[in-house]
Amino acid sequence: MSLGVEEVRRIAELARLRISGREEATFAGQLSDIVDYIDQLREFDDGAASFEETEAASDVADNDLPRPAAAAGPADLDETPLLDQFLDNAPASLDRFLLVPQVKATPGGDE
Amino acid sequence: MQPLTAEGLAAAIRSGERNAVDTVEAAFARIEKVDGSVGAFLELWRDEATERAAGIDSRRDEGLPLGPLAGVPTALKDNMSLAGHELNCGSRILAGYRAPYTAGAVERLVAADAVPVGRVNMDEFAMGSSCENSALATTRNPWNLTMAPGGSSGGSAAAVAASEVPLALGSDTGGSIRQPAAFCGVVGVKPTYGRVSRYGLVAFASSLDQIGPLARNVRDAALALGAIAGPDPRDSTCSEEPVSDFLEPIEDGIEGLKVGTIREVRTSSLEGDAARGFEQALEALARCGAELVEVSVPLVETAVATYYVLANSEASANLARFDGSRYGHRAAGARSLGEMYTDSRSEGFGPEVKRRIILGTFALSSGYYDAYYGRAARIAGALRQQFADAFEQAELLVTPTSPGGAFRLGERVDDPLAMYLSDVFTTPTSLAGIPGISVPCGLDSRGLPLGLQILARPFADGTALRAARAFERETGFECRPEPVQ
Repeated sequence: MSLGVEEVRRIAELARLRISGREEATFAGQLSDIVDYIDQLREFDDGAASFEETEAASDVADNDLPRPAAAAGPADLDETPLLDQFLDNAPASLDRFLLVPQVKATPGGDE
Repeated sequence: MQPLTAEGLAAAIRSGERNAVDTVEAAFARIEKVDGSVGAFLELWRDEATERAAGIDSRRDEGLPLGPLAGVPTALKDNMSLAGHELNCGSRILAGYRAPYTAGAVERLVAADAVPVGRVNMDEFAMGSSCENSALATTRNPWNLTMAPGGSSGGSAAAVAASEVPLALGSDTGGSIRQPAAFCGVVGVKPTYGRVSRYGLVAFASSLDQIGPLARNVRDAALALGAIAGPDPRDSTCSEEPVSDFLEPIEDGIEGLKVGTIREVRTSSLEGDAARGFEQALEALARCGAELVEVSVPLVETAVATYYVLANSEASANLARFDGSRYGHRAAGARSLGEMYTDSRSEGFGPEVKRRIILGTFALSSGYYDAYYGRAARIAGALRQQFADAFEQAELLVTPTSPGGAFRLGERVDDPLAMYLSDVFTTPTSLAGIPGISVPCGLDSRGLPLGLQILARPFADGTALRAARAFERETGFECRPEPVQ
């Protein structure tokens, strides 16, 4: 099936992406080619096989014992508690919380 | 003179014949000399590497035992965590991110006394087959600097091929270790899914991602795989299956071993003289004493399509975490949380990552889920079964690693589908969860390396390594790319 510009825009919105006008047409063409190629799978699907797990992919349950979240290694950060290390990566934080814009747009905003 | 192997370096450092500090310094000198033209490294960890090497030397001087990779300079792909170091995954969206912890495979590598010397380039989020989707740097093929090194672990392969380091870790989701290894004339191992911990590896497609080594010869790859493989309770898909000694039986040869070619892998589809390369590889295997048989795995023809549905579906979910709130790039001036998500992601991700997220979102979206994701998952299940049946008739299977040798930088960037099709022989292995090794099998008429891919049953990684070693002994390939001599 071919994907139109409208369809690409709708899916991009679901994925929280904005595609520029110029990119939209290119993407629609490229994605249509890819989806056309993928559509060959129709003739190979008899609907019978199930989602079986690979032999290799056995699930290993953790023994669930308390331990420090970061294992000590030679390259470990000083003595900084792990939370601080995570917060150091945050674009913005306040005290021990991540700081983000308000969930609702300010009045006059378009959301 | 050929550079020393990882195995040889480690032995010399353990015996005191060499110092780890000198070895690491020599690696940095080599990187300084050639990386300007190769462009494999994104960052060097000079001070920390020297300090770690000094620690190894002094432990030896005190008579303490050293690990199997003692003092071996090793490059890490830019998607593996080493605590305290920046990690970008080839993307602008992770700019400034510092890993708070170390990946399981990297912990094991360091416990074996290898010395991480820096991080190397990759396609953004491991999505690509040429390293050209990196937002950070251009990496060139050491055999011909106008050619792509392959991808996504192109930095790892190029660094090893150019003798900047004897060893690198890469990750493979649909061929990302094997294809660049083939393009750069080195050995690359995609282990059985679950053989190596994924803890601390940035997730692309969690059911397919696997870390593995790239090295200049099979013994070094086996040594490195032995060091990084094994259980890790922090990755629930990491197997508790005991790790066998990969080196001990590696010289045993493959006399009488049944090696299968796959009927549906058509050599007529190969580019240039890759078909001749593959024929010669089969002759070499026969000279090693392998009994060649033909098996049928009809669904291999569907693997690229199946792979791009499943991998991108998983990627669309895994990459939802990059939204500007917890780490990496945050767009300025957003007026709401939703706007911040959209703006940060739109600015931070490159075009290929966006295409794949859109494709994955499409495949999982209401109305299309069963026709795309469901169908692909069913076909992958049937493909696994076909491989299991094929392995009833042959101990190992072989294919070319890629339809041809390296392609020119820029040649396929505007045609994503053409780029995807270079994974035609590597994606089936990934979907089946089985081990795959790419071992050099000579040069094409352009003087660029070709790879032979050797596949084995789940957890028979050692058998594949033994065959790769026999093949390497027989063919005597030397990785000596002229432009970096």
